[in-house]
Amino acid sequence: MLQPVFTLKLRHKISPRMVAVGRYDGTHPCLAAATQAGKVFIHNPHSRSQHLGAPRVLQSPLESDVSLLNINQTVSCLTAGVLNPELGYDALLVGTQTNLLAYDVYNNSDLFYREVADGASAIVLGTLGDITSPLAIIGGNCALQGFNHEGNDLFWTVTGDNVHSLALCDFDGDGKKELLVGSEDFDIRVFKEDEIVAEMSETEIITSLCPMYGSRFGYALSNGTVGVYDKTARYWRIKSKNQAMSIHAFDLNSDGVCELITGWSNGKVDARSDRTGEVIFKDNFSSAIAGVVEGDYRMEGCQQLICCSVDGEIRGYLPGTAEMRGNLMDISVEQDLIRELSQKKQNLLLELRNYEENAKAELSSPLNEADGHRGVIPANTKHHTALSVSLGSEAQAAHAELCISTSNDTIIRAVLIFAEGVFAGESHVVHPSVHHLSSSVRIPITPPKDIPVDLHLKTFVGYRSSTQFHVFELTRQLPRFSMYALTSPDPASEPLSYVNFIIAERAQRVVMWLNQNFLLPEDTNIQNAPFQVCFTSLRNGGQLYIKIKLSGEITVNTDDIDLAGDIIQSMASFFAIEDLQVEADFPVYFEELRKVLVKVDEYHSVHQKLSADMADNSNLIRSLLVQAEDARLMRDMKTMKNRYKELYDLNKDLLNGYKIRCNNHTELLGSLKAVNQAIQRAGHLRVGKPKNQVITACRDAIRSNNINMLFRIMRVGTASS
Amino acid sequence: MDLNLNRADYLQVGVTSQKTMKLLPASKHRATQKVVVGDHDGIVMCFGMKKGEAVTVFKTLPGQKIARLELGGALNTPQEKIFIAAGSEIRGFTKRGKQFLSFETNLTESIKAMHISGSDLFLSASYIYNHYCDCKDQHYYLSGDKINDVICLPVERLLREVPVLACQDRVLRVLQGSDVTYEIEVPGPPTVLALHNGNGGDSGEDLLFGTSDGKLGLIQITTSKPIHKWEIRNEKKRGGILCVDSFDIVGDGVKDLLVGRDDGMVEVYGFDNANEPVLRFDHTLSESVTSIQGGCVGKDGYDEIVVSTYSGWITGLTTEPVHKESGPGEELKFNQEMQNKISSLRSELEQLQYKVLQEREKYQQSSQSSKAKSAVPSFSVNDKFTLNKDDASYSLILEVQTAIDNVLIQSDVPIDLLDVDKNSAVVSFSSCDSESNDNFLLATYRCQANTTRLELKIRSIEGQYGTLQAYVTPRIQPKTCQVRQYHIKPLSLHQRTHFIDHDRPMNTLTLTGQFSFSELHSWVVFCMPEVPEKPPAGECVTFYFQNTFLDTQLESTYRKGEGVFKSDNISTISILKDVLSKEATKRKINLNISYEINEVSVKHTLKLIHPKLEYQLLLAKKVQLIDALKELQVHEGNTNFLIPEYRCILEEADHLQEEYKKQPAHLERLYGMITDLFIDKFKFKGTNVKTKVPLLLEILDSYDQNALIAFFDAA
Repeated sequence: MLQPVFTLKLRHKISPRMVAVGRYDGTHPCLAAATQAGKVFIHNPHSRSQHLGAPRVLQSPLESDVSLLNINQTVSCLTAGVLNPELGYDALLVGTQTNLLAYDVYNNSDLFYREVADGASAIVLGTLGDITSPLAIIGGNCALQGFNHEGNDLFWTVTGDNVHSLALCDFDGDGKKELLVGSEDFDIRVFKEDEIVAEMSETEIITSLCPMYGSRFGYALSNGTVGVYDKTARYWRIKSKNQAMSIHAFDLNSDGVCELITGWSNGKVDARSDRTGEVIFKDNFSSAIAGVVEGDYRMEGCQQLICCSVDGEIRGYLPGTAEMRGNLMDISVEQDLIRELSQKKQNLLLELRNYEENAKAELSSPLNEADGHRGVIPANTKHHTALSVSLGSEAQAAHAELCISTSNDTIIRAVLIFAEGVFAGESHVVHPSVHHLSSSVRIPITPPKDIPVDLHLKTFVGYRSSTQFHVFELTRQLPRFSMYALTSPDPASEPLSYVNFIIAERAQRVVMWLNQNFLLPEDTNIQNAPFQVCFTSLRNGGQLYIKIKLSGEITVNTDDIDLAGDIIQSMASFFAIEDLQVEADFPVYFEELRKVLVKVDEYHSVHQKLSADMADNSNLIRSLLVQAEDARLMRDMKTMKNRYKELYDLNKDLLNGYKIRCNNHTELLGSLKAVNQAIQRAGHLRVGKPKNQVITACRDAIRSNNINMLFRIMRVGTASS
Repeated sequence: MDLNLNRADYLQVGVTSQKTMKLLPASKHRATQKVVVGDHDGIVMCFGMKKGEAVTVFKTLPGQKIARLELGGALNTPQEKIFIAAGSEIRGFTKRGKQFLSFETNLTESIKAMHISGSDLFLSASYIYNHYCDCKDQHYYLSGDKINDVICLPVERLLREVPVLACQDRVLRVLQGSDVTYEIEVPGPPTVLALHNGNGGDSGEDLLFGTSDGKLGLIQITTSKPIHKWEIRNEKKRGGILCVDSFDIVGDGVKDLLVGRDDGMVEVYGFDNANEPVLRFDHTLSESVTSIQGGCVGKDGYDEIVVSTYSGWITGLTTEPVHKESGPGEELKFNQEMQNKISSLRSELEQLQYKVLQEREKYQQSSQSSKAKSAVPSFSVNDKFTLNKDDASYSLILEVQTAIDNVLIQSDVPIDLLDVDKNSAVVSFSSCDSESNDNFLLATYRCQANTTRLELKIRSIEGQYGTLQAYVTPRIQPKTCQVRQYHIKPLSLHQRTHFIDHDRPMNTLTLTGQFSFSELHSWVVFCMPEVPEKPPAGECVTFYFQNTFLDTQLESTYRKGEGVFKSDNISTISILKDVLSKEATKRKINLNISYEINEVSVKHTLKLIHPKLEYQLLLAKKVQLIDALKELQVHEGNTNFLIPEYRCILEEADHLQEEYKKQPAHLERLYGMITDLFIDKFKFKGTNVKTKVPLLLEILDSYDQNALIAFFDAA
């Protein structure tokens, strides 16, 4: 049994996910963590009473070996590591919603302090691709930015949604690191510098990512899932009812391969094998885990796994020694194996007995009431499922419909559907009341996003009076565009917006794609090219036209730029297209974007004006204060009162000004997000190289503030004509 | 004292009931003992361990489910005759497996509990107790509530027969012949009885009992009255007690108390100088511990605790160390044994797998024919649905012999499902269209691999009644599911008690009409939990209840044609009135309902609520302050500048937070009950005060007892 080699109890709370170990003086590893009230504490157990009387750092009044660093803003991310290789020691990086601070703890000075408009909700430190100097990469509102030790941003790109987690990992095995980005739209994107090389869709917000080794990395979702990916393929995943707070790769059993260490919200820490997800070690804390890191905290030449709880409890573990033979829990492997095999045997015996009893039941008399009670049903009972599109009625909005029925007089007592990303939870249950039991059930399904979903169905079949039911299990796939109903074309309502591209595929293959990705009625018969199909969105009634010409030119008309992007991406993967240039025009959307861009300028100018006002006011405050104090010394109470009154009013103004600034800032953030998203969407309309070209070109256009150029790029895909 | 026990699994039989495994006495001192066990398939199996392998001594053919297994024999000789109770029959086997007795008791119910003493046989079915001597009927007693266990104090020491019945209504009934000498109230429904030290202690009158809510106690049964010796309250909220035994596992010459619980907990209690029990050791198994006994099975010379679990595992917790300290050769041999065992298991599995595949194919084929039927295999579900007094919530425990795949919970009444730390299943709440399908709650629990036991916590609201259904699907082919139903009664938070305070101001509800005693009894069963379904003997009966949340009480006395319900809580009376009139209308019975409302009772109830409410409000306020105070503490470095009250909060912070976490939504529930009280008070007066409820909530927000009472009076 692996025991912690040290246990500490600090009297400071630790904010979840904000823990880092760094050698801030080049030799002694110290633990830095964000705590309450916009502070960061640094626990330095090695050199006592070496305190630096500087403005930012002050010694914690609670503990002697803890110093506090005042950030005065809520810390949103924190890390430590080598930022400037020449310095020879680690820098501490602290991100807030508006700033990024790179701090030299040893000299107690700022390396740089940069304002970041998109906020910093995740941070990672390391080298990325061919960029030689280490970068502090932060992720915020749809944007990624990388700073070197001087605070220059050498890396900037956009991603689909707000960033929640970042990691550096050699994804394609070329010896250089790629950036993994987990965002709010449930996607893990892999950036080779600013080029997206892979995208993996998950089922919830990705809260943590960590590199394991090679191209393998671990991930955690906000619904309690943790797992391991190797490149784009998921190795394993498990789901718990608790949330994974922090994940880290560490070789705990000394077998040369890192395990995935997970710290859970219920205080559990477990180490799982990277191959199978099998638990090889676990421990319990009394409160939620805040962070899992590693470092040579005892300075004995080997790394320890360090787990911190939100209440400030810290435990360090040394990797298991060779004698333990990887057996970290206090059970014998053989005993466990025997138990498992016996359980298997018992299950098989049970199954065998079930068949025997079934055979016995068959011999007895024909079906009667009592049999129904015990759940005996005709053996040839079949279970049908069908997916279709329902246009809805007054009482019910339009939806995709799953119809489940049995082939005889048996009834369906309940249907359980386990699927991710479709329902509020992971499951949906249909349980008709006793009076409404029948042999068929219609289940409306409204997937919120256009993604293919596997529906795992469990249908309980029996009779009205049954207390036991047969469970029919089946998996059906809900196609990606199930929320679009085939309708007859109506030229009047054809959307103005379109995308246009050419693919070298036969029309039949396109029909195949349609069949696979849409819920088409069974009698749909699509003639040869050229043809056009028209769909209506069940969500908002928007029209979607897909036209194919003989030449292989495809035009997709829709006002929904995301949908157009999804269709292009889906086609690209179906036809295995690597690069696709697309011509696009979304007049309505572009007009909105133009307005947003104008607004961004406005917000910026308001921001500047407000800042100037504030500076003016602070001067005024100073003079008023001096005047008031003068008056007090002169015993001119009336003037003093007046001055203080003015001061009070000014204070009120300042508060109001602050509120306006705050509002302005949130609006600005919203607009910036919209701009970033627009770039992302423009990229999403293209595949492969053209996609990256669009993103880079758009970025340049924004930098040079050339709005017309931006729209041109979005339309034709390149900057040059 | 440090007790270190290592787990060793011996073998698995079928599903076992409570108290169905025993160790046969050893032939000589410190030799290994044989284990005898009976399961639900009706098989009695006796085996011993030889070199880590289980060697069967004998095994009977399958039959009826075995409910109990006891050892017996002539008094003052080794107790090595095996007796089993299956259905209404008692069978006896010698230790070699030869059947020497088959005794059909002709009881109408199947036997639930059995005790054997020489040639005396004490049996109980659900409500009936019977005493036989040499298979001849001697005494008979009909209990008012279900009998869970029966025991007789040691005849050889006391020279008189004192049978004791453990009854579900929280009472131990001490008998003499066919009559009750006296009744002893115990803190929970007793589930198991045992003689202290295996022989009744020093006096021979010491009796241990365990309850379904996890409490343990020792009582001396003297001829005239009971003497309570000690009681262990279930502070850690562990499972109910299923079995106890006395055995000196520590090796200090004093017999320790071994306890097995229904949440898989095995505990060892030692005794201190004052003869008070002290917990020495605990170990968690994953499923109910149905029987426990100390002895020596695995290896001679090493004492151990042998347990059987619900799914039929016979497991030893042995003092034998896992890692042998002897030479390296020894270790190798040990491993060899294991390897042999594993490889033999593997080959056995392979054969089975082949057989199963064949059968599976046959089964598939049968689905082609139109005449064939497909019966779902029945599997046994061990369930328990009980009210917890501490937090006034129900806990539902489901246990299946194989791993559970998923559980669907459906309810047609509004209830809250609470999170239980222990269970690891992923819960998901589904939306439900309540109007058309009577669903108020639909939730799925997807269990992790190897989960055989699931515990849920449910909070109900009094007055809202209906059925909770659990559909349990285990991981076994062919896939099937079983539904279990649980009634949420109108007065769901009430609990049976035996004494109430008669001085409280009471409201009365009287029912008169043309109905029979059993009809009225069925209504009482319908409304209140913990009432036996069988109408009690006698013409007139009285039950007392206590509200576990508010501590108000209810007295119900009824006979043919008349029922009187008294409670100090108006809401209780109001609920009863609504439910009873509804039920009567449904059954088209003419009922006269009259009630007598005592105005003072409202004030009394409010006063009863007051300390609880005040405590909760204060707690909520304190907990709210903790974070801010802690921040101040970090900022300032010390707490000297704070007023003592705040310093006190900081010192108790952990404790306060824990307390707060323990009772989620407690305040909301109290508010809800006060609101009900308010509405009900005026409902009886014929006025509808629903419009004034917001005003009431406002008063509650800035709570003051007098203001509240004044509001109740004024409105």
